[in-house]
Amino acid sequence: MWKVLLLAIIALASSSAFGHTAIMSCFDNGDGTITCEGGFSDGSSASGITFRIAQNGKSVMESKFDEHSEVTFPKPYGRFSAILDGGSGHLIEVRGENIVQ
Amino acid sequence: MMKRFLSAACFTALVAATPAWAHFQMMYTPQSALTAGGAMEMKVVFTHPFDAGHTMDMEPVDEFYVIQKRGEEGEAKKVDLKTYLKEITWDSKGSKGKAFEAKLPASVVRSMGDYVFVLVPTPYYEKEDEEYIQQFTKMIVNVGGVPGNWHEPVGLPAEIVPLDKPYANWTGGVFRGVVLSAGEPVPFAELEIEYLNHEPDMKKNAFSPKGKIEAPHPAFEAMGIRANAQGEFTIGLPKAGWWGIAALGVGPVDTYKDKALAQEAVLWVQVTDMK
Repeated sequence: MWKVLLLAIIALASSSAFGHTAIMSCFDNGDGTITCEGGFSDGSSASGITFRIAQNGKSVMESKFDEHSEVTFPKPYGRFSAILDGGSGHLIEVRGENIVQ
Repeated sequence: MMKRFLSAACFTALVAATPAWAHFQMMYTPQSALTAGGAMEMKVVFTHPFDAGHTMDMEPVDEFYVIQKRGEEGEAKKVDLKTYLKEITWDSKGSKGKAFEAKLPASVVRSMGDYVFVLVPTPYYEKEDEEYIQQFTKMIVNVGGVPGNWHEPVGLPAEIVPLDKPYANWTGGVFRGVVLSAGEPVPFAELEIEYLNHEPDMKKNAFSPKGKIEAPHPAFEAMGIRANAQGEFTIGLPKAGWWGIAALGVGPVDTYKDKALAQEAVLWVQVTDMK
């Protein structure tokens, strides 16, 4: 009984960040780079969460959000998508053409 | 002599029956819940928002800044915005007064998170009452939906601290807050609530002459309530738009230039219809 309860508590604790909506916003810094900010609707940090750049359906760059929940990268040529991949269905995609200064 | 007494009595009765003496320091922008950052325009007017009544001439502003924070673990950043203030004339159904506007570039409101805008006006001298009024005013904007410091006190002498996000309220909901004086709750603080009844016209620097609603009785224009013993209050939000909340005379300083001073706290709350 106690083992079951303990497992349930661990499961609840580890899923606390996933009861909320993942959010990402990107902007063009005007110097050839783009910054994407990640976060959750409850104010949780996106630090350490996977960030990817996809072109033609393939991942061309993979990184992690830093301690400020940000990733800055050189603006890719051509069409691309910036992706926050938080797992468990927390996938946010921002298309390059929607990223402005 | 009797005639003078009667006319004085009539004037007193008129003043007493006029509900429009609730001054409100307004900080207005059309939308406080923004999906993305960008350039933003704000109007700063000392007026009577329910009936678009007399607009007072504002003195130069003491402080105008924003404290931005993204996420619970984010770092709060304070940015001085005084440089963006430009004097304008605000038209309140023909009553024109000195006010300000601020055209903030995209670099100020670009990142996601909360933006707590703070205005500290120079005390305004109210001749009729022979006293100064100083309303420490907050208006809170969010970008993107990641919350930050909306619930954190700024440290003003008189301050209303929200217990609900001021930018995320459905029509028909409630809004709660705490009244602070020098950081301490004010038991049974006196509050006034007013609905911004006349839509501000950002281009004309004027209130729309036509109000959205009509009050059936003066007590519905500036609604007077009291906080509880812990300085907390709750108000209902029956209509979409902006609502101003003012805590009257709660600040710790009560004199300015050898006259009485009322230090008050104002907070603006935006309400949105469920569609």
